[in-house]
Amino acid sequence: MAEEKRILYEHLDVPDINTFDVFRQYDGYTRFEKAIAEYQPEDIAKMVMDSGLKGRGGAGFSTGLKWSFVPKDIKPCYLCCNADESEPGTFSNRYVLEKNPHLLIEGILICCYAMGIETTYVYIRGEFTLGKKMLDAAIKEAYEKGYLGKDVRGTGLNIDIYTHPGAGAYICGEETGLIESLEGKRGQPRNKPPFPAVEGVFGKPTVVQNVETLCNLPFIVGNGVEWYTQMGPTYADTRSDPPTPDPNTGTKLYCISGDVNEPGVYELELGLTSTELIEVAGGLRGEEVKAVIPGGSSAPILTHYELDTRLDFTSLTLAKSMLGSGGIIVMNETRNIVDCLLNIMKFYAHESCGQCTPCRWGTPWVRDIVQRIADGNGRKSTITRPKFGVAENGRWGDTGETEEIYEDLDLLESVANNIANVDTMTWNTICVFGIAVSWPAVSYMRKFRPEFEAAIREGKLVTLSVAEATVPPEENYAYQQRFVPKEFADL
Amino acid sequence: MSDELIQIETPFAFNEENQRAFDALIGRYPVKEAAMLPTLHLAQRQAGYITPAVMKYVAEQLEVSVMKVKDVVTFYPMFFEEPVGEYVIRVCHTLPCALQDCQVVLEHLKEKLGTDVASETNLAKGTTADSKFTLMKVECLASCDVAPVIMINDDLYKNLTPEKVDEILDNL
Ligand SMILES: Cc1cc2nc3c(=O)[nH]c(=O)nc-3n(C[C@H](O)[C@H](O)[C@H](O)COP(=O)(O)O)c2cc1C
Ligand code: SF4
Ligand code: FES
Repeated sequence: MAEEKRILYEHLDVPDINTFDVFRQYDGYTRFEKAIAEYQPEDIAKMVMDSGLKGRGGAGFSTGLKWSFVPKDIKPCYLCCNADESEPGTFSNRYVLEKNPHLLIEGILICCYAMGIETTYVYIRGEFTLGKKMLDAAIKEAYEKGYLGKDVRGTGLNIDIYTHPGAGAYICGEETGLIESLEGKRGQPRNKPPFPAVEGVFGKPTVVQNVETLCNLPFIVGNGVEWYTQMGPTYADTRSDPPTPDPNTGTKLYCISGDVNEPGVYELELGLTSTELIEVAGGLRGEEVKAVIPGGSSAPILTHYELDTRLDFTSLTLAKSMLGSGGIIVMNETRNIVDCLLNIMKFYAHESCGQCTPCRWGTPWVRDIVQRIADGNGRKSTITRPKFGVAENGRWGDTGETEEIYEDLDLLESVANNIANVDTMTWNTICVFGIAVSWPAVSYMRKFRPEFEAAIREGKLVTLSVAEATVPPEENYAYQQRFVPKEFADL
Repeated sequence: MSDELIQIETPFAFNEENQRAFDALIGRYPVKEAAMLPTLHLAQRQAGYITPAVMKYVAEQLEVSVMKVKDVVTFYPMFFEEPVGEYVIRVCHTLPCALQDCQVVLEHLKEKLGTDVASETNLAKGTTADSKFTLMKVECLASCDVAPVIMINDDLYKNLTPEKVDEILDNL
């Protein structure tokens, strides 16, 4: 059985770890002290690049690379810590904020030192009242102890951290939506480019980083790159010649919920499979796994055929899904996939920010189609196609063959793909919320088509057995990119 | 929204404590407008909900137009433009909570409080006659490991069953 590897969460349950003194007993702030004593800012940035750390908030973008885009000559530069954590199925940042806020502060300090940043805003979702209270208290202590404020520990660095509460809008987790919201406006995402690294909050270069990403920094600095890169798989990316390493290094705070016996956050090295993770989380509640959502509700669903897909950035991208925020939702044989999709589509229809027409209208439309199917009013028709061949009378002509057409399923796919096309990976929207809508909509429908068809045929929700409900991989293009981008073809 | 159009029933101003908190806030940002969300949170805490008078006051404090404040208030679900009950009960109903029967908790609350579920445009629908409770559905509260969950004002309640709900409401 896969073993938990607690690094970020190692001291989470130590009593009073949220206070400076106890945190200090467990090496607290020594990694920051090491950074300022032993390394130049450029060295830290290089270490982060070499560590292969990828963003844990959703996009999985290389943190070192993101930092390298920040122009060095424009000041001030800001850090926005993304603690909006709203992706359904994700709950790891909450525990950091509530139980070990000093770890986040240390991560922020290291990032600020490396990037020459003086001001950090921690954007905390409005519902995290306890998390904000704990972090505010920790920040206050850090000021008192001289780790924040003017001339930090006599180094001449000035670093301030402010917390900023959100107000219940999911889209403020998207980095440019977050920036707009931080500026005191509606949280409506901006067009990119310019990317926040170049022009972000208040028009200045801005690094946006998830809580978990920042919490990795003390350990990379404290234990070294070599130690860090031993955790998790590194693949060879054969898109280039010679192949370049494609790191999936470090641990991940996997959030597992749904039909398992012990839901919770499990910190493990990247790269274990769904089957292993379910085992770590106390095993499946129920008889059989019907489906697994691997990266928060935005991620395309995995069927029981895909349970040995490794849960890391590269493997899931190749499986045409994503690790996203690491929110894993398990569903057993009693679950109805149409019903699950309906729940998720209600979420997205509620959360669209309304700027782009395809998203504003398309998302409720998709929801309405799924609602109609779930209510038993899904549309289907039996048509007679003119098919030429040898007819009954032995003569050449129209065979009069009939075919069932599930109009609503075609419509569902068409509407979803017109928000963002999951096959070509192109979208008609400002932000990738669009793909977060069409990915689940299309993948659930293609992979569990028999269950959708049954609901339309029978006029009510019908939960099929796992074997009946799932389309096997060889019969369905949903498992494969229909148009495989060239660079991915032989990865 | 010009001044003439706003009917100001009760003028609004921060009390001493909130004024101090506001003064501390404003220094954090290079532009005053950026303090919008925390300021509105403070104001809502004091006034109960965002009245036109609150919007006007916040607009003056942040040196922006009233329309801009209204624009923001209407975007975020946590800001109320209508009165709400003393206790706002938020029931999470997103997928992980739905897999743990949050519907049962919601139905129980509806029955127990004798009210419907509020919608964003009609909070009165979910508010009890004695204005003690407002019942609403919200999206994932980032606590899916302890689903189903609800929030009552600032506090989170986990692993709920109808019995636990009874106990919690009795102890409020
Ligand atoms: C619709 C949407 C919602 C998002 N929500 C979150 C979120 O709640 N928390 C988060 O850290 N990142 C979220 N992201 C990802 C951010 O845009 C951004 O990639 C991330 O904060 C960058 O930090 P990282 O590189 O450390 O992951 C979201 C993205 C999208 C498109
Ligand atoms: S895709 Fe949707 S959420 Fe994103 S900016 Fe457009 S309307 Fe808003
Ligand atoms: S779905 Fe209810 S807390 Fe996440």
